Amino acid sequence: MTLLNPNIPESVRAVAADGTQLRYALMELSAQYKDAIALGRGDPDLATPPHIISAVQDAIRQQRTALTPVAGMTELRQALAKKFQLENGLSVEADNIMLTTGGQEGLFLLMQTLLDPGDEVLVPDPRYTSYDEAIESAGAKMVMIPTDHDDAFNLRPEAVEAAITPKTKALLIVTPSNPTGGIVTEERLREIAKIAIQHNLIVISDEIYEKFVYDGWKHFSIGSLPGMEERTITLNGFSKTYAMTGFRCGFVAAPKNFVQAMTKVKAVTTGPVATISQWAGLAALTGSQEPIREFHRIYSERRQVMMDGLLDMGLSFSEPRGAFFLWTDCSSVGMHSTELSYLLLKEAQVLIFPGTGFGENWGGYLRISILQTTDLLKEALVRMRPVLEKYRAISG
Amino acid sequence: MGAPQTLTRPLAERVAGLPEVVEHTDSPAIPQAVIDAAVQALADGKTHYTDRPGILGLRKWVTEYLQQRFNVALTPNDVTITCGATEARFVTIKRLVKAGEKILCPGDAITIAGAAHLVGTMIVRQANDPAGIRLLYITPHDSFDMLHPFLELATQYGWWIAYDLADAPSDLTFHPAQNLALASKVVSMGSLSHIMPGWRVGWMAGSEMADKLRAYKQSMTICTTSVSQWAGMGVVDK
Repeated sequence: MTLLNPNIPESVRAVAADGTQLRYALMELSAQYKDAIALGRGDPDLATPPHIISAVQDAIRQQRTALTPVAGMTELRQALAKKFQLENGLSVEADNIMLTTGGQEGLFLLMQTLLDPGDEVLVPDPRYTSYDEAIESAGAKMVMIPTDHDDAFNLRPEAVEAAITPKTKALLIVTPSNPTGGIVTEERLREIAKIAIQHNLIVISDEIYEKFVYDGWKHFSIGSLPGMEERTITLNGFSKTYAMTGFRCGFVAAPKNFVQAMTKVKAVTTGPVATISQWAGLAALTGSQEPIREFHRIYSERRQVMMDGLLDMGLSFSEPRGAFFLWTDCSSVGMHSTELSYLLLKEAQVLIFPGTGFGENWGGYLRISILQTTDLLKEALVRMRPVLEKYRAISG
Repeated sequence: MGAPQTLTRPLAERVAGLPEVVEHTDSPAIPQAVIDAAVQALADGKTHYTDRPGILGLRKWVTEYLQQRFNVALTPNDVTITCGATEARFVTIKRLVKAGEKILCPGDAITIAGAAHLVGTMIVRQANDPAGIRLLYITPHDSFDMLHPFLELATQYGWWIAYDLADAPSDLTFHPAQNLALASKVVSMGSLSHIMPGWRVGWMAGSEMADKLRAYKQSMTICTTSVSQWAGMGVVDK
């Protein structure tokens, strides 16, 4: 990638081809701007619900902080099994569940447990590039499945089937999607399940944003479909749902032999999830779910503010059906999105990640997070407008 | 439909041969300072991601520990807070040693055997093939007389050195990074697990690969549990 703007700092330029490092470089750069509005990282700005905080404080005061079994504390695994049964339609028990140090570690562990060098994994494009590292760390290869704006970034079964080779071992499904906010609809998932069964593929279903879908769309878990239970690994976590990213507590549902093997991998790579985080997870799961409904209401309102503002500035996007992001087409501004991100940070003090932070083909897109207050989102829109107009005018 | 038992495809070859999991669920009494620091961090809303390297206070403490105890000078930028020493060991091995290369471990290898297996490396106890060795893994329990020839070979062959201080005695003064010819190759690691094991706070520090080790840790777990890090300040502040 050639970045034309000579003012882009070397710290960003040097990592422009690496999505994850690019995002971190921009975050570090934004720390230099005291007044920057961060619409980058997917860390909910809302407070962790108080009943979760109280439960963890109680556990700490009572010294209930000893190491747990590597796979996680039994009562939490049981509660998660129940959650998967009731909410997702999965036929799982506690032995099918494993706690991970955040969803990201779940990805790492399951790829290490599943993939051999030379295996291929089908990955929707664009994608959260941490998948790249997890897959490549196991010596396997990603094969991109294109998704597009006109299809609301839904996954096309025919595109999945066309990418299958004798080396294909797994298909990654991310619904709702980071970065696009697209969901894979139930109808498509049913077709994809047939393909997975026909070709004996493992499906890795990342459902970490499941609670945040909008406009009447419904989340659906592919692992609930007949014939999928022995070939689906479902990934999820507490971080996004309960605004508790710092606890680093994710979870995976999978066939028992897979959980047993993954536990061995975890034992030699990070050990058990911090015990206080597991208490937090248990409180989250078994306590009031009203905070999620309130979070959903807040995110829905912010999403609308941001959509209205972007449309008003002449930017287009596929209306996000889920998650926290607007995957925004910025090609009308006439420059590569990495340069535009840099200029928005420098001249408007608004941090937005470029599309290339989520795949090399997305230089015409920005990922804009809604994880700030409505007032700050409005302020960010006010700041962005003159910068976009200026560079649109320059590019003609 | 019953609970799923067996995945329809074989697991990765690397998981065969991993050691059986040995659970450790005992814990010492947690110091009141840790409890107070953790409860306060929760009250203060410190429940979101920390900076990727870990909170600055904890990283500063690591540099002070290395400076005061061993006269090894590092900056907080050279330090990453990890999920226990387990993560520090794995990240160091994964990032510094390739499959097929060897780790020289003259002492007890139990803490790295699983990580080495997962990465596809072989642990050897003697330096019979020094050119095939990539990392020297040592602990304070290895005698200096035994280590001396290996440290000379490390200089000669450019080996990385992992110095595992997770179980360091309080009167320890030796550190391989005291030899300036080796300093850029030494990764020090340790943890607070002897005081607060269930909280999963460890660290790795130093070497010219510190940035890359940090990036790999980030790719695995993003950051270490926030409240645990703040609780750790309760230990180190004392």
